[in-house]
Amino acid sequence: MVSAFEFVPAIAVLPLVSFVVALAFGKWMPKKGALAGIFATAGSLLLSIWTVLTVAGILGSETAYHEEIWQFATGIGTFDLHLGVFVDPLSSLMLLIVSLISLLVFVFSLGYMNDENETGLPRYYASLSLFSFSMLAFVFADNILMAFMFFELVGLCSFLLIGFWFREDAPPSAAKKAFLVTRFGDFFFLIGVVGIFATFGTGLFVTEAGFPAMAEQAISGEMPGTVADFLEPLGMGAQGWFTILGLLVLGGVVGKSAQFPLHTWLPDAMEGPTPVSALIHAATMVAAGVYLVARMYGFYLLTPTTMGIIALIGGFTALFAATMGVVKQELKQVLAYSTISQYGYMMLALGSGGYVAAVFHLTTHAVFKALLFLGAGSVIIAMHHNENMWDMGGLKEKMPVTYWTFLSGSLALAGIFPFAGFWSKDEVLYEALIHGLGDPVILVAWAMGLLAVFLTGFYTFRMVFLTFHGEPRTDDAEDPHGVRWNVKLPLGVLGVLAATLGFINMVPVAKLTGAHIDFLHKWLVGSEIVNAEFLTGLHVYEDLLPYESAYIAGGEVPTLLISAALSLGLALAGVGLAYRLYAVPEPVEHTKKLGGLRTLLMHNYYQDEYQVWLAEGVTLPLARVADTFDQGIIDGVVNGISSVSLFSGDRIRRIQTGVVSNYAALLTIGLALLLIAFGIVGGWF
Amino acid sequence: MIPLQTQSTLPDWAALAPAILLGLTALTLFLIDSIDPNDESPSLLAGVATLGSVLAMVVTGWYLVAGTGMPRTGGAIELFSGQLVVDGMSLFFTFIFTSVTALVTVASYDYLSGRPNQAEYYALVLLAATGMSVMASANSLATAFVALELSSLPSYGLVAYLKNDRGSVEAGLKYFLIGAVSSAVLAYGISLVYASSGALQLDAVAEALSMGIQNTGVLGVGILMVAGGFAFKTASVPFHFWAPEAYEGAPAPISGFLSSASKAAGFVLAFRVFVTAFPLEVVAGTIDWTLAFTVLALVTMTLGNFAAATQDKVKRMLAYSSIGHAGYALIGIAIVTGTANQGYALGASMLHLFVYGFMNTGAFLFVALVEYWGVGRTFEDYNGLAKQAPVACFAMTIFLFSLAGLPIGGGALSKWALLSATASAATLSAWLLAAALIVNSALSLFYYSRVVKAMWIEEPAGDFEVSSHPTGLYAAVVGAAIVTFLLLPAFGVVSGTAFDAAAALF
Repeated sequence: MVSAFEFVPAIAVLPLVSFVVALAFGKWMPKKGALAGIFATAGSLLLSIWTVLTVAGILGSETAYHEEIWQFATGIGTFDLHLGVFVDPLSSLMLLIVSLISLLVFVFSLGYMNDENETGLPRYYASLSLFSFSMLAFVFADNILMAFMFFELVGLCSFLLIGFWFREDAPPSAAKKAFLVTRFGDFFFLIGVVGIFATFGTGLFVTEAGFPAMAEQAISGEMPGTVADFLEPLGMGAQGWFTILGLLVLGGVVGKSAQFPLHTWLPDAMEGPTPVSALIHAATMVAAGVYLVARMYGFYLLTPTTMGIIALIGGFTALFAATMGVVKQELKQVLAYSTISQYGYMMLALGSGGYVAAVFHLTTHAVFKALLFLGAGSVIIAMHHNENMWDMGGLKEKMPVTYWTFLSGSLALAGIFPFAGFWSKDEVLYEALIHGLGDPVILVAWAMGLLAVFLTGFYTFRMVFLTFHGEPRTDDAEDPHGVRWNVKLPLGVLGVLAATLGFINMVPVAKLTGAHIDFLHKWLVGSEIVNAEFLTGLHVYEDLLPYESAYIAGGEVPTLLISAALSLGLALAGVGLAYRLYAVPEPVEHTKKLGGLRTLLMHNYYQDEYQVWLAEGVTLPLARVADTFDQGIIDGVVNGISSVSLFSGDRIRRIQTGVVSNYAALLTIGLALLLIAFGIVGGWF
Repeated sequence: MIPLQTQSTLPDWAALAPAILLGLTALTLFLIDSIDPNDESPSLLAGVATLGSVLAMVVTGWYLVAGTGMPRTGGAIELFSGQLVVDGMSLFFTFIFTSVTALVTVASYDYLSGRPNQAEYYALVLLAATGMSVMASANSLATAFVALELSSLPSYGLVAYLKNDRGSVEAGLKYFLIGAVSSAVLAYGISLVYASSGALQLDAVAEALSMGIQNTGVLGVGILMVAGGFAFKTASVPFHFWAPEAYEGAPAPISGFLSSASKAAGFVLAFRVFVTAFPLEVVAGTIDWTLAFTVLALVTMTLGNFAAATQDKVKRMLAYSSIGHAGYALIGIAIVTGTANQGYALGASMLHLFVYGFMNTGAFLFVALVEYWGVGRTFEDYNGLAKQAPVACFAMTIFLFSLAGLPIGGGALSKWALLSATASAATLSAWLLAAALIVNSALSLFYYSRVVKAMWIEEPAGDFEVSSHPTGLYAAVVGAAIVTFLLLPAFGVVSGTAFDAAAALF
């Protein structure tokens, strides 16, 4: 029987084909390329399901797969560069998520783009297909260079799609910003990639020959030859150098996953079409950063400093973004800040050793955030592309499908029992707590994450109440535009998932009852081969974990319950506050009560301002100095040489008088000069 | 490939077949002209001339491939008691002459249409080519002088071919007068060398000098004056004064012929005479002629390029650039010192002349094409030409960029070979030459680009229409462009022969 693994490259190639088809023939196709994308991503989804089943061991015994596909550069006396495929529980799960969300986004786009008679659709669907292709290939990359290449392609696609409506003012500017800010982070990533190749002679993620395994050997004392050769002239310890490498790669992660301080591009990215926002936030662009940390988790675990930094960045971003989400007036803006905040949780989980928790939250978030964006898209269609929540209200009765699914997503986002977000967020905080009790840095990060729970509950339901409850505040809200099946179907699928997906890893229930229902945990533990050969199983990571677990109130179960109660209580408190303030027929703005803080929040802590100042006040003058040097000194020398040349050329030209007797005279004089000179040198006279 | 055994069955004089073929073709043309002096069928004349030169080229190519006169088949073939010699170098240069001749005769078919005295024109071209191929084989100062005159005298007539054009006649006369002065210098130099060695045959001169030099002054002046005579032929400073005017005034195919083939002929003579008759280790005490050639090379390339940069007529710019290229080719003989890989240095110069034969002839033939159309001569007149004649302009772009040394034609690799030869010599003067080569090439890119810019980027000034596409001129221009381009990937094929041929001389 053929193995699913042989078809894994096709998961990415199918969207690539649809990219070409949509680009070349989209103009003449009935849905302008949407159908090509739908079929391609549906194919990818089926193949991903098949792959997941195979990895699960249901369809055969081979449960992980690694193969080099194409070696595009052969090194002579040094390393080779190649593209390869690696499938393990993590990557197969991610393949499933990405292809599912992509498919739903394609379907939704039929309603959001085609039904609204947008122009330039072939370009839209081509970019969307390329986006899916890039992300899928990024997910199964077996080495960091290939990951980097597709990471960049993902960035390019986000640029193309955010700036899709390039004739307006804001989208191209937002696209540029997204590209430049993430590029700033990718710059460090690139240096990190070069550093990893230079240090280890390989960029492979997995197996004994991969760089995480080599780094582990180096730290445990059995220094591999290549690493020793590199470190010796460097004069650095393995631990210190690996920390630097880890932080360099983290630069790319912080940029892509919109973590503080490189998060500023993401709210602006809302200028793109809403389905694109769904794709960017749920499954592709932003997820790429966190996924990369998870992919090379074996490397990060070796350097506790980096882990601490990741946790701190995560915790801080979670809180920081949540505070800004509280005052936003536009539906998608609230969602944008919630995305930043939620990815902060994932980073917090990764940094505090909660690998399973991070992957779990990545999974649930992908579902409920895609749902919320698509729901927002549905509302935006209904509101004739007005996104201001203060112009909405009372949409609950007019669009029940959207309302109920959106509510499901909101409950998940706020972390209300028993929706998906509750289980995953609870696990994130629990892991951070038990590891933080022995490590103050993690504890600080945990505290920030916990505080953000309250804010999340508040801003989420402020959004829900303002949008759907109360009385309609405008004519558009009074008489919304209807939506069709192609909007409702994705919402329905995701709405059900957002309510139920948490059941794949109900750790508290498992701990209480002793029933083994923590399926995701078991999934990520992986099979024998994943742990022994590829070294990406959970057992491997647990052995490397630099933290000790500590418990309060006398044991694991009470700690678990206290943690869950705490986060649920805070979330409910947030929801309750939102209910009191905004679930009234005629809600009014309460932000004025915040006083000076409001201005600060409205201006997003002046993050944009200081970054613009960095660009205009620091970089630009520096660039001007360099330009002056280039124009004045370098070009000046060049221009000087050329004017001297032309001037002397003009003189030389005048020797040619046109009078033949002059020529004869000059010729004779020249010969005579030569004769005299050589005669003197040669001593002829 | 032809089996080598065939070679041994041919008599020795057959090694001169290319020169004989060229000479016979010239005589045939005279015969045709005397039978029918008012022959109005130029295609017969052009056909015979082209056929003769192509035949000579094929025979030369066959000899080169078969290894005639090369070490692997028994070494150089000496004829007439060593007055003439056929070896790799003579064949290599004969190949340059014959291929340039073929290009020129093909192109002339269209260029000359409607003009009188075509038989004389073709016959003179073929006679000049005969003289050049004898120059390549000359192994005695006497034959060298005769051969040089045989190639020069027809050239004077050819430059003045456009009898009713004032520029052409004036240029012919100037060329002749400077040529006369230079021949006098050469003849006097030869006599002084004879006075101090008592021999004219090159090997005999070297042998006599190695016995001991009686009067260093006489010999030194003699050698320097011989060098001067060759400098006239190669259009090197200070014997270059004829060149800008002759190239500008002459019919454009003749400009190409003179600046490529005739120049190369001067070089082959200089290479053979100086390396064979005046070995450096023998005459170093009297005159270090590599120093003389270093000075000549530096001054020639600098003057040629600097003057070319300020011209406003394309043909005159090419004339000066041709002087500059003579300076590049002189590098090879200027660094034939003990420290350098001598065969490599000389081979590099030979290669440059080989590539130059195609790219420079091609450039002049393009000018011939433009003259044929009646477009003006200045850079401005070339504005927007590419819109009218894209194929020819594309070919011209290849020529010009290859002349500048960009890797679009063989010119890049031959310059690179010259550079690496200077690097292997690694003396102060060699570094100086390398620096001058680089600086001058950079400068040359400026003025070559002006033509390219005019053709492709500028808007045409007047409403000019290219009326016709002359087959002969187009064939020659495109053919030269193809060879120039192919010499980039196929450089290795030619370079092996050149280096072997040069190495056999030492």
